Amino acid sequence: MLPRECSYKLSNAESFSFKDPPPATFFTALDAGELNLCLDLLRRDDDPGADGAALNCRLAEILFHRGRRDEALECGRRALAFAAGDDADTAQFCAWLFSNCGCHDEAALVYECLLDRSPGWTEGHRHASGSLAASGALDRAIPHAMRASDLAPGRGEFALHAGCLLIDGGRLEEAVAYLRRALDAEPDDNPTLRALSAALLALGRQDEALSLARHAAALEPGDAAPAIHVCELLMRADRIDEAAAIIAPVARAGNATALRVLSGVEMARDRAAAALAVIDAAVTAAPLNAEYHLHRGHVLYRLGESEAAAGAFGHAAELDTDSREAKRGQFAAFLAGGRLSEATALGGRLLGQFPDDDEAATAVLDLLNRRLGTIDPEIFTHREGEVRAQRQAPRLIDALRCQCRVLHALIIRETRTRFGESRLGYGWAVIEPLLHISVLWVMFALLMHGRPPIGKSFFVFYFTGLFPYHLFIHTSGNMVHAIPNNGSLLQLPLVTKFDVVLARGIVEVVTDLVVALILLSGFCALGFAGAPDDVWNACLALLAIAALGWGAGFVNAVIAQRIRSWDKVWVQATRVLYFASGIFYAPGMMPDWVRQILVWNPVLQAIDWFRSACFAGYQPHWLDRTYLIAVAIAGLLAGFGLERVMRRRISEPL
Amino acid sequence: MITLDRVSKSYPTPAGRKIILDNTSVVFDSGHNFGILGINGAGKSTLIRLIAGTEPPDQGIVRRDGRVSFPLGYGGTFHGALSGRENVVFIARVYGASVRAMLRYVDEFAELGAYFDMPVNTYSAGMRARLAFAACLAVDFDVYLIDEVTETGDERFRRKCAAAFRERMARSDIILVTHNRQTIRQYCDRGAILADGALRLCDDMTSALDRYSRSLLAEPPPC
Repeated sequence: MLPRECSYKLSNAESFSFKDPPPATFFTALDAGELNLCLDLLRRDDDPGADGAALNCRLAEILFHRGRRDEALECGRRALAFAAGDDADTAQFCAWLFSNCGCHDEAALVYECLLDRSPGWTEGHRHASGSLAASGALDRAIPHAMRASDLAPGRGEFALHAGCLLIDGGRLEEAVAYLRRALDAEPDDNPTLRALSAALLALGRQDEALSLARHAAALEPGDAAPAIHVCELLMRADRIDEAAAIIAPVARAGNATALRVLSGVEMARDRAAAALAVIDAAVTAAPLNAEYHLHRGHVLYRLGESEAAAGAFGHAAELDTDSREAKRGQFAAFLAGGRLSEATALGGRLLGQFPDDDEAATAVLDLLNRRLGTIDPEIFTHREGEVRAQRQAPRLIDALRCQCRVLHALIIRETRTRFGESRLGYGWAVIEPLLHISVLWVMFALLMHGRPPIGKSFFVFYFTGLFPYHLFIHTSGNMVHAIPNNGSLLQLPLVTKFDVVLARGIVEVVTDLVVALILLSGFCALGFAGAPDDVWNACLALLAIAALGWGAGFVNAVIAQRIRSWDKVWVQATRVLYFASGIFYAPGMMPDWVRQILVWNPVLQAIDWFRSACFAGYQPHWLDRTYLIAVAIAGLLAGFGLERVMRRRISEPL
Repeated sequence: MITLDRVSKSYPTPAGRKIILDNTSVVFDSGHNFGILGINGAGKSTLIRLIAGTEPPDQGIVRRDGRVSFPLGYGGTFHGALSGRENVVFIARVYGASVRAMLRYVDEFAELGAYFDMPVNTYSAGMRARLAFAACLAVDFDVYLIDEVTETGDERFRRKCAAAFRERMARSDIILVTHNRQTIRQYCDRGAILADGALRLCDDMTSALDRYSRSLLAEPPPC
């Protein structure tokens, strides 16, 4: 802030007195207008004596008025160096010179030195305050300004200056006091009225501020500044129409700032088209104001003219390269106009310049995502709306056929992996029971003195016990593993857990039947006479035991889905059955009380049923076929039902 | 056409029940290809399995009009101990397709060479995906369900798949789950976003992708 008035006029320099006659050459050159020669002379003169300061001042003044400020400053500094400590005139002149050449801090220094010597110098305080404020030292400027006004309370300008500085320093209450003092001195001073209005506004006293501003505007109806101030106040109070009425006449007169403000008012009234016309006029009046272009861009963007908006934002960005708003505006305009390449490039620059701008980063990320989405894929499948043949609703027969296909496929698949990687593969199915029977034969042939409890051959006797037992054990035990073994196949929606368990059960039964036929054929070939006497009854007995095994297998499969180690529990439980089912003995060999317990074992019932069919002479009275069939059916129903009920739950991972 | 009628699905996790769908009704019209978007863990794969019928819904009904494929995904529908050939035969039998024609198609399409007769356990992930694609394409489905596998294999195989699907598109639809926007744009004309137990359909892919990217920005996926 420059001092508003300066006591130093050109004529003041005449008052410098020369103690000694000045060197003739200097004045000759000065009179001839040879300023460079004068400058040279003064530069060369190391010890100019008492007149050095005066001569430098004189030349500095002339140089300053010729516009040669740097050289004027040089002379001024030299004068200050040569001046005696009490040479107030020189110091004052230098301070004035520094202040007018823009060296406010140097000026402030000189003023403060002068004020140390004469603290009551009113103007000095005012000047020092002005220089300090201009050099940015607001804290030090304010006391001087206040002191100047206090020393001369009647001078409105001093009070105004102090008030303005106090506003800048945020000391609003004090500012109001000083501005009121200024107003007392000059009641109709427009800048004072506006400053006071601003201070009151900042204090939240809006009505007072507005009435002062209106007063100021009424005093100078043609002036833009008070009208703009009133307009801003009205805008803040949300009285937009009044604001427009105040600013419109001033704007029509062609004032660029007023036009800009009017455009803002029009935007606030939601009249973007009018706002555009006004800001266009403002831009014509002041084409180099970046903020006007920025505002114009926003107006155009609001109007949906993204192309023109991008241009306006671009102008603003060129005029003010540090403006983030302009770049963001242009980015948004590019996006809105679909100019994604430009937007991407600009987004990159925006983030490079303002890496902390999170909003911009989000916008750029969104843009990049959008671009990724719009890259034309190599193969784009575009389809005509085509009417397809209506499919017939699936019928029950189709469902059955599908079920059969699935079971068929699964059974074939099961046989492939039934014996895993073993090289003997299916051979094991035959060898295993054969070995089993042989061991039993060796043991019991010695114990029983060469005679089996029923029939003539140990081989056939053990076979009739072991075969139904295996049928039960294999089905009930191996169906548990069907679900884990076929995990990946269950990903096929047509293949259900029910299917795989059932297929496993069928494979087990068929396997055991094939093995039985092979063994029986072998016995016959060896002359053991193993063929059953009643084939029909034998088949029924096998069907019953198979049904029993399937029922247990389904129950086990469902339980194993919830209890992982259930299969091991089952294996242990069925070990007991090996001894409790009459495989290597006939129940008739047991004491009555033991037999009465054992007959509750359905496997024993099944084995005895099978034996009664094989050996016509063996018809035990404890055999109860109805009991066995009931248990088998109950088991099957339990297995199917459990699977049905638990279907949804057992599909959940544990 | 596939209809989800008031379907709910959730499954237990150590952190409580994870809700995939909550009483959601959606119709996947035939004649359109749908891309399903959703952040990791939203349950896209479960949804695909629900649509396929591999998994039953907790409540509600999934109606399928026409033949819906098995979910084509990384999970794999092959038995590891069986060879690729045996697996293909199995699928052919299950779907009632001609075994010989299917074997020829898969052998040619998947280009597994000698590996075709090796156990699937010995395959690389890419080979498995190739086998799965070939086996799925070999069956004449009305709707193909694809779960994130379009990015497997080399460029050449991807093109081959895309070409095969393009040819298939004249009579079949696709429901696709993927993170890759390009794939989605390549295959799909409609989108669906799976989030917060609801499946929202969008009539065009662009709005679906926009909405999806906004939801991504709003809440980053859990890492």
